[in-house]
Amino acid sequence: MNFKHKYIFLFPGLFVLIGILIFPIIFTIRLSLSGWNSYTPEMNFIGITNYIRLFTDDPRFWESFFRLSFLSVSTVILQYIIGFALALMVWREIKFKRFFRVIFLIPMMTTPVIMTVIWRTFFHESLGPVNDLLGHIGIGPILWLSDPVIAKFTVIIVEVWQWTPFMFLLLLAGLLSLPKEPFLAAAIDGASTFRKFVYVTFPLMAPISIGAIIIRLIEASKIMDTVFVLTSGGPGTATETSSFYIYIKGLREFQMGYAATLSFTYLVIMIISLTIIAKVLTKLMIKE
Amino acid sequence: MAKIQLSNISHTYNPLDLNPTYALNPFSMTWENGKRYAILGPSGCGKTTMLNIVSGLVKPSKGNVLFDGNDVTNLITEERNIAQVFQFPVIYNTMTVYDNLAFPLKCRDFSKEKIEERVKSVSDTLRLSSFLNMPARKLTADQKQLISLGRGLVREDVAAVLMDEPLTVIDPDLKFRLRRNLKEINEQYKTTLVYVTHDQNEAMTFADNIIVMDQGEIVQVGLPKDLFERPKTTFVGYFIGSPAMNLFETQLSSNNSVKINDTIIKTSTNLSKLKNNNLKLGIRSEFVKVAKDESENLVEVIIQKIEDFGNFKLLTASMGSLTIKSKVNRETEIPAQNVKLYFPADKCCVYEDNKLV
Repeated sequence: MNFKHKYIFLFPGLFVLIGILIFPIIFTIRLSLSGWNSYTPEMNFIGITNYIRLFTDDPRFWESFFRLSFLSVSTVILQYIIGFALALMVWREIKFKRFFRVIFLIPMMTTPVIMTVIWRTFFHESLGPVNDLLGHIGIGPILWLSDPVIAKFTVIIVEVWQWTPFMFLLLLAGLLSLPKEPFLAAAIDGASTFRKFVYVTFPLMAPISIGAIIIRLIEASKIMDTVFVLTSGGPGTATETSSFYIYIKGLREFQMGYAATLSFTYLVIMIISLTIIAKVLTKLMIKE
Repeated sequence: MAKIQLSNISHTYNPLDLNPTYALNPFSMTWENGKRYAILGPSGCGKTTMLNIVSGLVKPSKGNVLFDGNDVTNLITEERNIAQVFQFPVIYNTMTVYDNLAFPLKCRDFSKEKIEERVKSVSDTLRLSSFLNMPARKLTADQKQLISLGRGLVREDVAAVLMDEPLTVIDPDLKFRLRRNLKEINEQYKTTLVYVTHDQNEAMTFADNIIVMDQGEIVQVGLPKDLFERPKTTFVGYFIGSPAMNLFETQLSSNNSVKINDTIIKTSTNLSKLKNNNLKLGIRSEFVKVAKDESENLVEVIIQKIEDFGNFKLLTASMGSLTIKSKVNRETEIPAQNVKLYFPADKCCVYEDNKLV
């Protein structure tokens, strides 16, 4: 079929696609090749100078990137384990099933920034209730926000609290969609609860699990508001993640050209690593 | 192996209602050790409910299930020692065929040697020996179904193997072979086999005893021959056989004959106790013959249609507003006019209120 006017009808869609996806990426690439900063706010051309700087003279970016990998992988693993456990809990017929299902979803419905402010109050080292309570049983005071190692775990706690419900929701939906027969067959074969989980539930849930983990990994890699409100990347750079570092370079120091370089490099690394992670997870969990 | 008794069983899925609808109306039944049973009926008649009550997946609202005289009504499936095969093959995807077959024994802590011996024996019977080391998920649908079946057979002490339409996903020619396979297994292991199906051919060729169900009611239990020749209700006559039994509204004429339009049909049934309400005459199309020199039980008809099925011809004839179907040999000469059909008296079944007299 030769329909010449088809582009007219495709145009609105293409326009949106170009406007929100293609143009920003091309603009970022062009920006990354410029020296735009607060002294020379112009789109000049300085070649790959910014990239050379990134790969030879900026350990802070790479540190923040590895910190981000640690934070996102560990929070997603914890979210998966806790979310799966909660989903298994309210999957079967139990009392107050609906009540629990709603309760478990509440953290997801709250605003992350506001909740992080509340968490920061909880964990305040001299005024917060957490250290106060721990003090009563003779522990602490723990430097929740000012110790470089503990601060990372504080961020993990808040992230896990905030986003486990999302994992729970996806996994519960998955569990509810499973066929009944494999479970009946396992019951007839005399399988224990543990064996049922290992040989029936888990293999059946593998495809859904992979989907849920990937979605959460993408989301977790963008972690920004929690760090911003809770620790502002501190103490020092102990909780600084890639997005927060890019924010500092671009919007606090106004090195727009260099921030664009960081953003684009980050995007490429994320696309490659998430593709590899998805492939590896599929291999490990589905075994086709 | 065990004798299975169902005593006064009934079941409803909404027991809290004031007038609950029963998926199964009260009934009692005994399944003898080592026999083959088929439960036959249309969709939604309670076949699967009955099966699930025996396997323990459903607890009956009333009544008791006994295995060899022991009450197992309150035991869960795991403790009942029963095997069940479902409509769609259920296998453990992550395991090999061997591990699949060994799984029920592993769960019951059998010794390694014993497991090996049993798996070998069962895989030989089911012709799965050459696949034992393959991942189970790589097999075809019918092989997977064999694995499900094998998991049931691998336990020697299993009380019965229950099958819920197990051959639905399998090709017709393989179905035939598998049914024969099941019969061999039954003879070899003396396992009680219970087979749920809505396909009468499957039931007829497989079972010693067929249980016909309709709307939560057990309508007839019997040999394939009984069901075919003397259906206890018009439902059985209609449901079993292809084409369905010929059924006509009729009036009482004498102690052993009835009247259709003005034709008198003699039967070999004593009709003296009938109250003459809602009578029906039923006869299988297989028994309706084109008359040659018979002198009674003749109906004059007009032939509407002759269909040649290769091994037989199916006549569709009409007498007034009634339609009569007759299966005849393909060699039978069918006259062009004045066709008379002959109803053998001993094959005529009379139904009062849809129940056999």
